[in-house]
Amino acid sequence: MKILIVEDEPKTGDYLRQGLAEAGFVVDLARDGLDGLHLALSGDYDLIVLDVMLPSLDGWGVLQTVRRQGREMPVLFLTARDQVVDRVHGLELGADDYLVKPFAFSELLARVRTLLRRGKTKEPEVLRAADLELDLLRRRVLRGGVRIDLTAKEFALLELLLRRQGEVLPRSLIASQVWDMNFDSDTNVIEVAVRRLRAKVDEPFEPRLIRTVRGMGYVLDVPEAY
Amino acid sequence: MALLGHTRLPLSLTTRLALLFALLTASLLIVVGVVMGRAVEEHFHELDDHELSGKLSLIENLIRRANTPQAREALPQRLDDAFVGHDMVAVLMRDEEGSVIYALQAGRFDLEQIEGMPLPPPPAIWQRDARQFIGREAVFELPGVEGGVQTPVRVLLGLDISHHAHFLTELRTQLWVGISFSALAAALFGWLAAYKGLTPLRNVTAAARDLSAEQLGVRLVKGDAPAEVHDLVEALNGMLDRLESSFQRLRDFSADIAHELRTPVSNLMTQTSVALSQKRSPEEYREVLGSNLEEFERIARMVGDMLLLAQTENSRLPQKPELVVLADEARALAEFYEALADEKGIRLQVCGEARVRGDRLMLRRAVSNLLSNALRHTAAGGVVEIEIAEAGGWATLAVRNPGDTIAPDQLARIFERFHRASPERHRHGEGAGLGLAITRSIVEAHGGRVSAESATGRTRFCIALPAAGTAPAGST
Repeated sequence: MKILIVEDEPKTGDYLRQGLAEAGFVVDLARDGLDGLHLALSGDYDLIVLDVMLPSLDGWGVLQTVRRQGREMPVLFLTARDQVVDRVHGLELGADDYLVKPFAFSELLARVRTLLRRGKTKEPEVLRAADLELDLLRRRVLRGGVRIDLTAKEFALLELLLRRQGEVLPRSLIASQVWDMNFDSDTNVIEVAVRRLRAKVDEPFEPRLIRTVRGMGYVLDVPEAY
Repeated sequence: MALLGHTRLPLSLTTRLALLFALLTASLLIVVGVVMGRAVEEHFHELDDHELSGKLSLIENLIRRANTPQAREALPQRLDDAFVGHDMVAVLMRDEEGSVIYALQAGRFDLEQIEGMPLPPPPAIWQRDARQFIGREAVFELPGVEGGVQTPVRVLLGLDISHHAHFLTELRTQLWVGISFSALAAALFGWLAAYKGLTPLRNVTAAARDLSAEQLGVRLVKGDAPAEVHDLVEALNGMLDRLESSFQRLRDFSADIAHELRTPVSNLMTQTSVALSQKRSPEEYREVLGSNLEEFERIARMVGDMLLLAQTENSRLPQKPELVVLADEARALAEFYEALADEKGIRLQVCGEARVRGDRLMLRRAVSNLLSNALRHTAAGGVVEIEIAEAGGWATLAVRNPGDTIAPDQLARIFERFHRASPERHRHGEGAGLGLAITRSIVEAHGGRVSAESATGRTRFCIALPAAGTAPAGST
């Protein structure tokens, strides 16, 4: 997977490149709008991470030209202002998602993966991890063959964790995907929800599947020993 | 700054008033002058006419009495006697054949002018050598002498009325001079009066000019200014009150921001420098970085909240308002907070229904802040109720929870930024005290109001928004 980053702030650009490269992507970095546009049109990218405030040609200009040239790769734009105007404008111009600075890198990574996965996966009927089984058609969860009763939201949370196995999911992404709450709550509500889910599907069993990654979020994966 | 936007400076009030005074006085006096001039002229005409008639009667008398040869002989002499000293009078008498039988100053007066004028009056008026004359013609019967038949005599009579004309010209000139002078005087007095009258206004201006941002506490003094200026002073003082309080809030806000940022920044500095002070294992470094990340997230959330506040406080309604069903939002939020409430042993209840127009995401956030606030202050076993209602064009959403009664002075400031009911600093994971301020600014940006009340162990926060009315056809 090849990703283009267009970002003029040197440190942000470098760390984004490093982070995404370490996450397994092939990454190019452009430091201004014109370079970015040139790369976007000449290279074959699967996704563009686009800053809005850029020298020589701003993000809107890059986005517009890219779309006019018929390039349909997903574009995630970064805006410094949490303005409805920006949000609406960007999505109207054909962006696929946006992030407001400052953001956590884990959040960016999760969104990048969501965009790259979009429309590509075939819906499996049963999601599995070790002896945990989630049956989407019958809406039921089994662990070691034992049925576990979950509330609708607990089911949705577990489904998200299973679909994105091995990915660290930030709290804000979980709130947005499971509850459709697109803002940070000033409470520890996600923590509590994950803890309760864990108490039902994880704690009484071996191995432990759901882990907390300090400062970043939650991940469901099968420990290597198994 | 529309008031200062003129490209051309308009006339000052003082100048306008002075000009107005001058104009008024001049037009008034001009009317009076014209009427007076006419009256005097009329009067002179009557006077002249009267004199002409008198002189003609005199001449007629003398002619009628010339019925003897001696008297006929003496007629010119008598006429001379009659008009002696009247050098303003000219007479020309002709007999039937047209030969002159008597003439007095006829040449000077150019009496031929009125020969053949129609009879009876009006009298003719003419000019010669810058003098003005008035004259009439009459025909009298000269009696026959010693049984002879009487013969007609044509008499031309002229009067020099130059002095009247002169008087009138003089009068008009003086009137014009008088009017001009009065208008000038009126302008001057008007200017003086306006200048004096506007002194209080200038005082206010000078006082207002001396105010700077540092001394907004100063108020303008009304003194013995007239009522109009009183109102102005009051309005300006009201504006100063508002300015002062917003300046104060701005100052407080900056102080609060600095204060709020200090804690996470000092945490970061301490733990980072301690971590760097000696060699550590990768796990320890990871631990420090993770802890740093938590502090950074706290700072990031605060920055985001402050940006949101700045944005909502400076804008009005969202650009693309959508229909928001409050009960749906409340239920979604109750579901979101369900796990948290459950763990604390609190029940959440939603009842009622109303619709509003606005930004769904923003409104959801506003209610979310009320709800998280209520959950924070409710003890185990309590019930947090969300009551939605619609009445009189307003949709209301109230969050009620049992909890410690909030003192009235705390309640009044509870929607302010960084305000916390309890003075101790927040525990980790809780907000920076911006939640309720955000709720208020979102609601106000939607044209609504927030309120809070607390009594006998129950606290109620209420949002009132303009109701969207009945649902448009086709929706739900």
